[in-house]
Amino acid sequence: MEDLKIQIEEKIKVFDEALAKVKDQKSLQELRNEFLSRQRGIITGLFNVLRSLKPEERPEIGILLNDFKKHVQDKIQTLHEKFSTPQEVAESIDLTLPGEKIYWGAPHPVLLFQEEIERIFLRMGFSIADGPEIETDYYNFGALNFPPHHPARDDWDTLYITEDLLLRTHTSPVQIRVMEKRKPPIRIIIPGKVYRKEAPDPTHLPMFFQVEGLVVDLGITFAHLKGTLEYFLKILFHEKIKIRFRPSFFPFTEPSAEVDIGCTVCGGKSKECRVCGGGGWIEILGAGMVDPQVLKNVNIDPEKYSGFAFGLGVDRTAMFAYQIPDMRHFYENDLRFIRQFSLK
Amino acid sequence: MKISLNWLREYVAVDLSIQRLVQLLDNIGLLIEEWEEKEGDVILDIETYANRPDTLGHKGVARELAAALGLPLKEQSWPLAEISEMASDLVDVQIWDDDLCLRYCGAIVKNVKVEPSPEWLRKKIEAMGLNPVNNIVDVTNYVLFSTSQPIHAFDLAKISGKKIIIRRANKGESLLSLDKENIDLSTEMLVIADEKKPIALAGVIGGENSAVLGSTQDVFIESAYFDPVSIRKTSKNTGIQSDASFRFERGADISFAPEAARMAASLMTHFGGKVCKGIVDVYPKPRKTKSIMLRNHRVTALLGIDVDDRFIEHTLTHLGFQVEAQQYGIRKVKIPHFRIDIEREADLIEEIARFYGYEKIPIQIPPLRTLDPILDPIKEKTDKLRRLLFHHGFDEVVNFSFMDPETEKWFSSGSKPIEIRNPISQKTSLLRTTLIGGLLENVVWNRNRGAEGIHIFEVGKIFYWDADTHNERNMLALAMWGHVGQKHWRKKTPDADFFHLKGTFEALLVQLRYDPFSFQKENHAHFQEGYSLALYVKGEKIGYLGFLNQEILDAYLLKENVLAAEINLGQLFEKQSQPFQFKSVVKYPSVNRDISFIGDKSIAFEKIKEIIEKLRLPHLEKFTLYDRFSGAVVPKDKVSISLRFVFRHPQRTLHADEVDVLQEKIIAALRARHNFQLREGGKIDK
Repeated sequence: MEDLKIQIEEKIKVFDEALAKVKDQKSLQELRNEFLSRQRGIITGLFNVLRSLKPEERPEIGILLNDFKKHVQDKIQTLHEKFSTPQEVAESIDLTLPGEKIYWGAPHPVLLFQEEIERIFLRMGFSIADGPEIETDYYNFGALNFPPHHPARDDWDTLYITEDLLLRTHTSPVQIRVMEKRKPPIRIIIPGKVYRKEAPDPTHLPMFFQVEGLVVDLGITFAHLKGTLEYFLKILFHEKIKIRFRPSFFPFTEPSAEVDIGCTVCGGKSKECRVCGGGGWIEILGAGMVDPQVLKNVNIDPEKYSGFAFGLGVDRTAMFAYQIPDMRHFYENDLRFIRQFSLK
Repeated sequence: MKISLNWLREYVAVDLSIQRLVQLLDNIGLLIEEWEEKEGDVILDIETYANRPDTLGHKGVARELAAALGLPLKEQSWPLAEISEMASDLVDVQIWDDDLCLRYCGAIVKNVKVEPSPEWLRKKIEAMGLNPVNNIVDVTNYVLFSTSQPIHAFDLAKISGKKIIIRRANKGESLLSLDKENIDLSTEMLVIADEKKPIALAGVIGGENSAVLGSTQDVFIESAYFDPVSIRKTSKNTGIQSDASFRFERGADISFAPEAARMAASLMTHFGGKVCKGIVDVYPKPRKTKSIMLRNHRVTALLGIDVDDRFIEHTLTHLGFQVEAQQYGIRKVKIPHFRIDIEREADLIEEIARFYGYEKIPIQIPPLRTLDPILDPIKEKTDKLRRLLFHHGFDEVVNFSFMDPETEKWFSSGSKPIEIRNPISQKTSLLRTTLIGGLLENVVWNRNRGAEGIHIFEVGKIFYWDADTHNERNMLALAMWGHVGQKHWRKKTPDADFFHLKGTFEALLVQLRYDPFSFQKENHAHFQEGYSLALYVKGEKIGYLGFLNQEILDAYLLKENVLAAEINLGQLFEKQSQPFQFKSVVKYPSVNRDISFIGDKSIAFEKIKEIIEKLRLPHLEKFTLYDRFSGAVVPKDKVSISLRFVFRHPQRTLHADEVDVLQEKIIAALRARHNFQLREGGKIDK
């Protein structure tokens, strides 16, 4: 019995010490559980021990225990009320100090812009396809209706690895790779790196990004090509942008078109405009109806199916959209340049 | 191609403002890149296409303009004051290689007076941006820029044996060109030769030995059709591109050859020349006129418009096609020889569209039939990976895929790099075999511009030969240099930290659900010995991370450590990731135990981890290293390690005594294996 008395006194001390350290509701709750939990609480445990005592010893200890329990309950209740009323924040904090700097990585601007383009076409139900960067002459040229030794190849200045292997000069070879495997309807875009034998200058690079598009189905017409690209350009730029389709030549489309947008820098009004060169128009896309020979090359009947294809340079378009004067900035990877695009 | 407006007016009575004219030409696909007014004329610079050699002369452009305006194309006539002497008696033309020369015409003009050209001709030549030479040479250029048919003038007296032989060059032959360049001829090259020697590189450039000079009296005018591929190869192989080769390699008008010779001869009569009777014309296999069936319903099917029948007929006729109506809605269209680009019905439909006007074709949304999307899990995973890296504070870079062979040496890891045969420069003559080289260049660039800390990554391909097969692999590389983030009152700015890099990879793999993965200490050529880890996913090595080695840092003049990693994304993404699965939240509380040990510094944490894992403790949800330190209170060569163990039972609350048993097991195991001691004052029970 004396042991139990000492134990109770000790536990009161433990409680009082622990109570002094309690700073918030959570630790208060923990303390409550430690002492008052119905199953494993310290006081519950002591009451269990009480039951094992001789009947004559019980009242004295019972009073001690009940006082202890009430002491614990009162103290906890008082503190609970104290924590529940709003407290004044310690006066020593200077809230005008700067907040923590949270560092968030920035995407590369060309890839960011490419994603914007992808999103527009994904909304129209296009899928994204991919292909190798080292291509064969067949996929890069032959299947796309470039005859061997044709001067048209001069417009796609090529970096060669062997007689037959080259760095793809456009993402168009993926058109062929997709059409070899799938039958119409086909609706894809193909983003990716392409290579040209061009010395770097403000508007030319030996490597840049392109997004190619291809739609093949029953009853696809030039009017649909116009509709798709108008929608795309209006979303990418703005509703009021001027768009012009004019005839052009690509071996893999017939009829072929070049798509220009009205210069948003000078509005076509400045003869010295460095963006449009005074012409008022900026070439933005190459496009056309898929050449019947290209369809034949992948065993699609051009009498039954028709389609259109288009391609645009991502870097070039991004330069125009963000008013970046020199394409080389994209590959210097100056973080002062790149980090600005974490805001886009 | 430069076009003079005055010259154009000789073929079509165009009377438009320059702005209207430019717009009109743009709309039919003859894009005006620039124009300038010059001495009462306007010079237009027209972008021409590789399939339209007919627009490489004023007449061809005039034909397009006439069709667009509905005006007639003025034909010119070229009268000849012929003398009785027969041209064929003065020269014998023989085509020996008729696969490369399909037609050869010649005219002879006697007694010309070679002198500076008259004013009108000089002006024309100057308008084309050339310097006038003499009246004979200027006439040949005039014909070329008028009609796009190249012609050439020889001094008849210099043709040995009165023979013109068109043949492949013989082995060992050479030719001194008009530009005084000695050309070594190969046997695939076609030459114009006399009895003894080559006198011109066919279709490319004339020879010095047969040139028309001031002393020349009699001129032989050549107007021919050469095989385009042969001319292109010769032009490429000799590096000589002339106005003639540019047109021949695109395809000349085979039917026009004699007319061009006549035109040149007629013009030379103005300089006192007398034209010999009969134009020599060797044409072994006359080419047939092509015909194409044009069906109205295909026009509608391709363009999405109904085009008026009369419009189709007028347009095609104006452009020089002959149109014959067949059955209803079908026409037979004969293609003139100057339109080498028209081969199929679709080509004719483009002609109709060009003149109908692209701007008048309506704007329609295509029928978006439902179709199975092409799923691209690699793209999706790559996008997720990039987002996670932004979250972890890495900026994205994109470098060129090229590599300097000098740099490649530093990174060489056994695979054979792929060389570009015709690189832009020596420094870009290889395809990169690692992404790390590019990242280091970015580190240096930014450090030199004041950056204090750099965390960058790139996703891109590397390339290499594997025996005879070329390979391209999609990689992810990271580089860290300097301190993390900016200096700030709230936080210290630690230097680039290996455990941040490692933690980033752990987070990436967890978030992409690639369990199980592990790191093993392994050396790699790019890293300092003993300071790199190999990353294994499902038992397969996919990459390395660590401290870049001194040689590489020296090569980039970097004094501080750079942490880097490169992993094979292709290989990683080929593996199946764990499917996402929701698990019910366990409502029973955990029992946490914090245990602190003191042990030998030399014992790798990996070993401690293994010992604990081998115990296979029931209800152990996880354990984490929450503190590690040495120094002051810890004996020398020892380290204090604090671990938190979290125990939980899914169906009930754990009892303290159950956990006590488990805890004792841990302590005993670590004691037994590595003599770890419980740290004095370490909290044991919470």
